[in-house]
Order: sequence, then structure tokens, then C-alpha cells
Amino acid sequence: MKRLGKLVWALLRELADENAYQRHLEVHGRAHSGEEWRRFSEERLRAKYARAKCC
Amino acid sequence: MKILGHLVWAAIAVAAAFCLGGIALSRGEHINSIWLVVAAACTYATGYRFYARFIAARVMTLNDQRATPAERLRNGHDFEPTNKWIVFGHHFAAIAGPGPLVGPVLAAQFGYLPGTLWIIIGAVFGGAVQDFVILFASMRRDGKSLGQMAREEIGKIGGFTALLTVLLIMVILLAVVALVVVNALRGSAWGAFTIAATMPIALFMGVYLRYWRPGKVLECSAIGFVLVMSSIFAGRAVAESASLAPVFTLSAMTIAFSIIVYGFLASSLPVWLLLAPRDYLSTFVKLGVVLMLGVGILFVRPELQLPAFTRFVDGTGPIFAGKVFPFCFITIACGAISGFHSLISSGTTPKMIAKESHAFPVGYGSMLLESFVAIMAMVASCVLQPGVYFAVNSPAGVVGATPAAAVATISGWGFPVSVADMSSLARDVGEQTLFSRTGGAPSLALGMAHIFARGGGGQAVIGFWYHFAIMFEALFILTIIDAGTRVGRFMLQDLLGHISAPLGRTSWMPGVIGTSACIVAAWGYFLVQGVRDPLGGINSLWPIFGISNQLLAGIALCVATTILLKMHGAKYMWITCVPLAWLMTVTFTAAWQKIFSPLPALGFLAQADKLEASLSTVTASNLAATQTLIFNARLDAVVCGVFMVLVATILLDSIRVWIGILRGTREAPVREAPFVLSQLRAEEL
Repeated sequence: MKRLGKLVWALLRELADENAYQRHLEVHGRAHSGEEWRRFSEERLRAKYARAKCC
Repeated sequence: MKILGHLVWAAIAVAAAFCLGGIALSRGEHINSIWLVVAAACTYATGYRFYARFIAARVMTLNDQRATPAERLRNGHDFEPTNKWIVFGHHFAAIAGPGPLVGPVLAAQFGYLPGTLWIIIGAVFGGAVQDFVILFASMRRDGKSLGQMAREEIGKIGGFTALLTVLLIMVILLAVVALVVVNALRGSAWGAFTIAATMPIALFMGVYLRYWRPGKVLECSAIGFVLVMSSIFAGRAVAESASLAPVFTLSAMTIAFSIIVYGFLASSLPVWLLLAPRDYLSTFVKLGVVLMLGVGILFVRPELQLPAFTRFVDGTGPIFAGKVFPFCFITIACGAISGFHSLISSGTTPKMIAKESHAFPVGYGSMLLESFVAIMAMVASCVLQPGVYFAVNSPAGVVGATPAAAVATISGWGFPVSVADMSSLARDVGEQTLFSRTGGAPSLALGMAHIFARGGGGQAVIGFWYHFAIMFEALFILTIIDAGTRVGRFMLQDLLGHISAPLGRTSWMPGVIGTSACIVAAWGYFLVQGVRDPLGGINSLWPIFGISNQLLAGIALCVATTILLKMHGAKYMWITCVPLAWLMTVTFTAAWQKIFSPLPALGFLAQADKLEASLSTVTASNLAATQTLIFNARLDAVVCGVFMVLVATILLDSIRVWIGILRGTREAPVREAPFVLSQLRAEEL
């Protein structure tokens, strides 16, 4: 049950781009800040909304 | 242990056959929805265990020793090896749209049986196979898109035609889903207020996320969800207020133009301000509601009120014209097979797959779950009394403009319903009327509200659940509209960039505004056409959408067949060729009938001719409107024809390539990325 809960939480974080942000910080060796989030999300969202959304 | 396993799978297969036989042979009495649920679940399980595993092992030869693009090209952004169940959820959230919900509701006019069988069988042998093969092919080609694969595997003509087809489909898709929202909200102060409230809520979320609590998407979405739920409660107060209700009671045309303006603004404004926060919220609400509906159906186990077949299998249906073959198979696209999925399967997902074997549950399994959503939508629509179902879904142009005329027509078809029944139901859900609320969304919301209310709260809460369901449908349809307009704009800029370089730059504001306006004008035109259509718009637009989506699936299956042919020769090409042949037969028949049928209710050209013949008798005030209807009918015929030509081009080009490969006159290189041994450790996932 605990494992399922962890998996659901990880899925929610993935869908919310929070995991991707964490990875972004780790890859670039940076700390979280408002400026960093804005830089990350702009790049992420630009790529995300250049792709077709399903019907 | 092995014998026990065989026995369990034999029992599941027998249960699938028994339930499918049960729903197929049952006549004259209501059946419980659990039959559909068990038939679907057991058939999916059998298909997954045997057919999909055969494809994975024999045809694709999935190999976990081979590094995936997520591992080889890992960059912390797009390419990232991810836990398979997270990719599964991510992929499912991406492919699940309004299609599997609305299509089955509309196709229920034939009865529950044709649509249910198509959803189950189509998904196992068609839709899931398409998604799985395209995901596999993209994964083996560094996450390439469908268009890129079409260009490389078939040729330049195929690649360009695929891009153009997708752009045209986007236009039709956006128009038809916008029409669904218009028909759900017109004359509904409660619904219009709730949806209008989601705009400032999304703006608030955007600012909150960017400046107040950067990065806290889940926290922000939870706040947004609470605010949206509050707006549903507030909507009831607005609908009951003598001063506010008229402000939010809007005509169909007003709502249509509001959505057009919204689409333009949302595609031109910064993504973080409106689109992204709404998209986060809509994704969570969508997954939550799908889960709730599944639990609700299992808990309530409602009886289906619609018969297995209705008289409308003969093509005289009020919701859309056309016989069960081919129209059932294009009306239900996304729940059985959807071309759009191939864009997702060759988009983000292949870049997240950590091990090749994960493509099996993600590609094949996600589509089965999507198909199950379509089964739930079918159940939700069929729990309504048939008279109520047809009163809600039939356009006034078919059943009559007054309640008395509508109930007389529908009762005359053998589906009794009274004005008092409909008034009482409308009162219960806080609406002025439920007659002729075409598009599928209101009847789906009624069915869902019926199931949720029976789960707890009864009639006292049915109004809340109805508007909750409307909010859920409108929320993610509007997300599709703003995201789709933006994507359409990028595609147009991509094409126009070849003519003028500045037009291709996504940062050049005049180009952004001009191309956004072009895309919005294109789908807005079809939306207004649908609103003005005396037959409700769905009759003409949904079949065009279904045809175009299935034709895109045809393109994906052409690519998939070419790849299988290059891998194994003719040995396994039947896996994708059989669904391709079926889809081509269905869609070309439907498109041909939509253009050339002599019946005005069905054929666009016959409809235009009939209207033209009536020009001499129409009043001067109706002359311009009638001429517009004639033009629209001919335009729809041209759009259908263009789709047929585009897909025929790709099909013929593919057949030319296949013949060349089979005769040995053409080189058939498998353009997979080279084998690299995987170094990924289990603890990294």
C-alpha cells in the first residue's frame, strides 16, 4: 500500500513537472529559486505546447 | 504452478467469451452494466497477455539489454529514463481526451451493442496495436515523430502529406470540441458561470506559480481545484439569482464567439499565465474523474436502459445520419483506434521509456485503459431512459422546436418520454431545459450524475454532480482548444517559414498574432457553421472529425506496416495491414457517403442541392442564411474530399514502397539507432 502511495505521488509529481524540475536542478547543479523555476518552466512549457494535444 | 496459470488464463478467456456472447445475444430485457465491464476487462486481459505479448516477443523482439534513447540521450529534460508506471500514467493522461467520452455517447443512438463491440475489438486488434508499434518504432529511432518516420520510411510525399493532414485535423477537432462545449453551456447560467470562473482561477494559479510559490505545481493545483469546486456551488446561487442569472444565460452564438476570442488570447498570451495552470488542473481532474466513474460503475452497477440495437441502425438516426456501417466505426474513434495517439506515441513517451519491455504496458496497456474509459462512457449514456437520451441529443431541426413536438416525435419512435419528465429532470439539475442539448456532453453528464448520485446523496445532489461533470468536460476541452490553437499556429509558422523567414519565427509578434488569427479563424468558421446548422452541427462536424482521425490512424498504420515489412518481410505485416484495410474501408466508405449520398440528411452535396432548390421559396430575410448553409455544405464536401485525397496519396505511396520491397527492387534499410548495451541499474528507476 505504501509502495502504491509512493508511486501515485511520483506520478502526480511527474504530471506536475515537479520531478522534471528536480532533475533540471540536479543536472545543472543549481539551487531552487524563483528565477530558476521561471527559466526551467519557460523552456519546458515551450516544448510541451509545441506538440499536438490528443483528442 | 504453470498449470494453475493456464487455468486462470483459460477462465479469463472463457469469461470474456461468455460475457461478449451474453451482451451480443441478450434481447428484449435490460442487462446490467457489469456485463460490459467484465466483457471488456477480460477481453483486454486476454489480448494483453497473448496477442500483445506475441507482438512484443516475436515481432518487435524487445530487448532490455538494448539502451533506449532515454538512457543514451539522457539530458534531464525530454530524455529521461522513468519508472514504467509513471510513464504509463503520463502517456494515458496525454492520450485521454474528450473523444472516448463523447464518441460512445453519440454512437449509442444505434444501441449499446455495436459501439461496445467496436470499442473492445477495435482497441485490442487496432488501436492498441497502432500505439504500441508506433511507440516501439519511435523508441528504436531516437524518439522521432510520426512525420519524420513517414518521411524516412515511405518518402518525402508521405512526410509532407502527414504534416498537412495533421494541421487540417487540428482545425476540425478544435471546431467540433468547441461545439460540444457551446451546446453544453448555452442557456445554462450555472454551467456558464462555472466555466467562466475557471478563467480568473487559471490566471490566479499562473501568477501564484510564477511569482508567489514557484515550482509548487501540486500545491497550486490543489488550491485551483478547491476554487473550481467552490465555483460550482456559487454557480447554483448565480442560476437562482434574478439579477445574475440573465447575465450568464448566454446564446449559443455568444458562447461560440467567447470561445473563439478565448482561443485567440490563450494562444497568444504567455503559456505560464493561462494555458499551463489550466492544463495542470485539467489533467488531475481528468484522471480523478475517470477513476471516480470506474469506481462508481462498479459500486452502483446500473442497468442499461437503451436496447442492444435501436431502429436507427438503418441510417435514419436523429443525432447523426448514416447506417451502423460505416458510421459507428468513425463516430467512435478514440475509444477504439485514434490516429492522434500516434502523435503522442512518437512524442514525449518514447523519450521516457527506460527499458524496451516497458513499451509493452505503456503502448498497448494505456490504449486498453483508454478503451475502458470509452466503455464507461457508453455505460453512462445507456443508463438514461432512451426517451430522455434522444430528447437531449436530438437537434430541434429533427424532433421539433417545442417540447410538445419533441416528445411526440421521440415517443413515436417507440421511446416514450413526456414533457413533465424532461421538465422535472431539468429542474433537478438546475437547467431551464434539456431538450436538444446536442453534442454528447450534457447526456454524458446526466449519466455520470445519475451514477454518482446513486453512489450517495440521491436526487438532492444530482444537480451538483451534473455541473461537476460539465465542468470536467469543459475544462479539458478548453485546454485542448488553447493548446491546439497554439500547436496549429506552430505548424502554420513552420509551413510559412519556407515562404518568408520572419513568419516562421515563433518570437516575431506580428507573425504570432497573424498565424494565431488564421488558425482561430479556421476552426472558428467551422464552429459558427456548426452553431448555425439547423441539424445541430454535430451531424456534419463529428463525422468529418471521425473520418479525419481515422485517416490519420491509416497514415500511422502505413508507417507501421512499412517498418514491419522492412524488419521481417511479409511475415508479420498482417498485424498492421488488417486494421489498416478495415480502417481504409470504413473511412473511405463513410467519406464517400458524406460527400455523394443522395440523401440530404447524409450527403453534403445532396443537402446543398436541396437547399438550392428551396432558394426560390425562402423569404428575403432567410436568403443570405440559406446561401451560407449551401456554401457550408459544399465546403464540408470539399474538406472530406481533401482528406480522402491526402490519405490515398500516402496509401498509394506506401503500397509502391511495399511492392518494391517485396519484389526486391527497392532497398529496405531498417533505420534503427545502433545497438548500445544498456548500463541502467534497477535502482535508477
